[in-house]
Amino acid sequence: MLNDVTFGQYYPAQSFVHRLDPRTKLLALIAYIVMLFVANNFYSLFACFFLLCVTVAAARLPLGSVLRSVKGIIFILALTSVLNLFFHGGERLLWQWWKIKIYYEGVIFTIFLMLRLIFLVLGSSVLTLTTTPVSLTDGIESLLKPLKYIKFPVHELALIMSIALRFIPTLIDETNRIISAQKARGADFESGNIFKRIKAIVPILIPLLISAFRRAEELGDAMDARCYSGSKNRTKYKKLHFGGRDIAAFAAFAALIAGVILLNIYAASIFPQIYGYIRLS
Amino acid sequence: MPQEPIVKCENVKFSYPGQDGYALNGVSFSVQKGEFLSLIGHNGSGKSTLARLINGLLEADEGKITVLGMDVAEGKNVFEIRKHVGIVFQNPDNQTVASIVEDDIAFGPENIGVERGEIGRRIDWALSAVGMSEYRTATPSRLSGGQKQRIAVAGVLAIKPDVLILDESTAMLDPKGRREVIDVVTRLNRDEGMTIILITHFMEEALLADRTIVLNKGEIALEGTPERIFENGEALETFNLSLPKISVICDSLRSAGMEIPNLLKPEELADAIVRNFGSRGITSVQSAPAANKIPDSPHEWDIDIKNLSYTYSKKSPFATKALKGIELHIDDGEFFGIIGHTGSGKSTLVQHLNALIKLPQAEKHYRKPKTKKGTIPPPEPNITIGKFNLADRKTDFKALRASVGMVFQYPEYQLFAETVFADVAFGLKNYNKNVTDKEVEEAVKSSLEIVGLNYEEIKDKSPFDLSGGQKRRVAIAGVIVTKPHILILDEPAAGLDPKGKKEIMELLHKLHKEWCRTVIIVSHDMDEVAENCARAAVISEGRVFACDFCAKLFSRADELRALGLDVPMTAKISARLAKNGIKIYSDFTSADFTAKVIEAFEGGGNA
Repeated sequence: MLNDVTFGQYYPAQSFVHRLDPRTKLLALIAYIVMLFVANNFYSLFACFFLLCVTVAAARLPLGSVLRSVKGIIFILALTSVLNLFFHGGERLLWQWWKIKIYYEGVIFTIFLMLRLIFLVLGSSVLTLTTTPVSLTDGIESLLKPLKYIKFPVHELALIMSIALRFIPTLIDETNRIISAQKARGADFESGNIFKRIKAIVPILIPLLISAFRRAEELGDAMDARCYSGSKNRTKYKKLHFGGRDIAAFAAFAALIAGVILLNIYAASIFPQIYGYIRLS
Repeated sequence: MPQEPIVKCENVKFSYPGQDGYALNGVSFSVQKGEFLSLIGHNGSGKSTLARLINGLLEADEGKITVLGMDVAEGKNVFEIRKHVGIVFQNPDNQTVASIVEDDIAFGPENIGVERGEIGRRIDWALSAVGMSEYRTATPSRLSGGQKQRIAVAGVLAIKPDVLILDESTAMLDPKGRREVIDVVTRLNRDEGMTIILITHFMEEALLADRTIVLNKGEIALEGTPERIFENGEALETFNLSLPKISVICDSLRSAGMEIPNLLKPEELADAIVRNFGSRGITSVQSAPAANKIPDSPHEWDIDIKNLSYTYSKKSPFATKALKGIELHIDDGEFFGIIGHTGSGKSTLVQHLNALIKLPQAEKHYRKPKTKKGTIPPPEPNITIGKFNLADRKTDFKALRASVGMVFQYPEYQLFAETVFADVAFGLKNYNKNVTDKEVEEAVKSSLEIVGLNYEEIKDKSPFDLSGGQKRRVAIAGVIVTKPHILILDEPAAGLDPKGKKEIMELLHKLHKEWCRTVIIVSHDMDEVAENCARAAVISEGRVFACDFCAKLFSRADELRALGLDVPMTAKISARLAKNGIKIYSDFTSADFTAKVIEAFEGGGNA
């Protein structure tokens, strides 16, 4: 059942993007997403897409692994496009059946929205493909640090994330072992109606819960024995460093922000003949 | 003036809430700086409780514990004491907090506020102390058990404690991992002068210490140098412990009139035997060849494996080849052993036998792999078990699983039902939907009884309220309840104390005689296989290195060791003897080996 769970999506490689500081990548992703929503015309949107393409190329990711992420949102894509297609008003009527009308403007808007969503998912997948969950956690912790001053438990949150990451592979192994063991006793997880299947999970869930609690208890003892006493007087070994690469990346994304804003303002005056057709109302 | 002891316990008593009686009942001892103390005792003797008390994880009911003069009972001391006393626990998986080795080792020093540069130096030092420097950026979950446990040791060392307590830290490891950890510990004691308290139930490990304390039911039963302790063979038995096997052999040889001191190393024992033979003028011996007990097999339930290969996580960057062309035949009625390191592929192999991992041809969407023109396609894997053909999609896999019982490692972790009865009956009801209540009751009753449990007493109890040994028996009963023809057990004795181990092995022989026709045990313990199995296969790196009668298999001691595998202790002695012209051909059980040696000794070499 869980045979092929390779943990996370991380695609191991040595590239410019892989070596960027996780904070840079997180901030860049935020900037990129904001720009996707700031973009109010196709030119701006393609500026974002252009930077995405450059990033994928620099990350040396196989195209398939990046595109695969779109598979996960096909349902949402289909739903939003159908809704927009049918309910977006406009002037140029293309097709009508009973009370359902499709306008040219609706089609353009739907395409715009779909591209925006697809670019969003592609961008996020570049982050998860090039960053290990561990350095992602480090990055999040470091970025959240200012929240310490409003008594937000940043260290505890980071520790919880780190321990969760650490135990995911262990618990997957354990789950596989329990599934095999119960299968060997004739348990059937793959047939029957929904109620039967839910009932069939009990012999997996109970041993798994018991074991998770046992592990938690032992881990607690081990942490206590290693002098853990919360975030007070604690030092941190790992420090993240921005390097030349990160400055280059920031420059690229500053250019993106500037580009999107400029394109938003001057879009109408670039190829006015074409713009008439692709204008969003 | 004698030095102040580093750890001192005075009349310590402790009881767990909700349990009758004391887990520790008036224990007093002290440990000197730089000492290597081993603490042995059966499961539940209170030895782990003691470790937790010294470290302040538990608080004693009565008595006083001091570490470096600080009283553990005073709350303000606990943090300070934990800096000086480090504990490595049993389960290597449950001690690491981070997904990268160096981050995990940094955890302790970070907690006590060591500055960054120093943490880096401590990581370097701790990793080199455990011999894992090249794994600094590795992921703990991908390491072997021994490596994980060495990382746990490094994580404790980085706090720079004065005392290192190992709380059964080797119990869950294979012999190789166990040796790795023990080597690290002895080196720390010798070179760094670190005080060590080694809690274990492996007698061989306890021997390495300067001093041994035997705990029995919460009290100190014996105390002294390991040599002195092991002179009390019978006393140890009553404490649910057993003598190291080598001491048993020494004893029987001595009672046959040979002059043999209490030796603990196989090579030394071999030399002593040579000296004894020499004193009678025997310089060369050629014993009768060992009898190969070929069981009378009806060949109805033979297992036949051909060309079996298997790759985990195919088509991902983490693909690993677990099996590379296994060929194996196991006769109906055998007590068979499968030996190999953790990661050798032995578990993957046995999971094929009851189709938990199906052959590719038996999968729903199987398509023959395309082969390039002119090349010979790789042979297809094939397994037959009795009348079942596992390569056939139409095989009744449910019936197969009912006939091939499989007991996984630590089977007690699969118990889930509210009562023992329901848990044992689970498998039976799964395999046979039309079974009557009366049939279920009879089957559950007889299977609980054959594993040595009292049916009336135990059937309505919750499986989670039982002792460790009882849980394992219930789990085994839950598998054999369908009366499988073949029973496969993965490390059936893992984690048990010596007495528990012995009892489980006796149970398996009983099952082999009365219940299941074929018993296959998967083990990494060579001695266990040599003592119990007639025939065994050695799996190494996904291939069958050898499959033969134990008598022949272990006579290839040098080859096995070259593979990095251990050999039974008797094989080590035999190999050394053979180099001195004394050729003893035994089946490598200690009984047969001892008998052959005595025979040769008494017969003047012409046995």
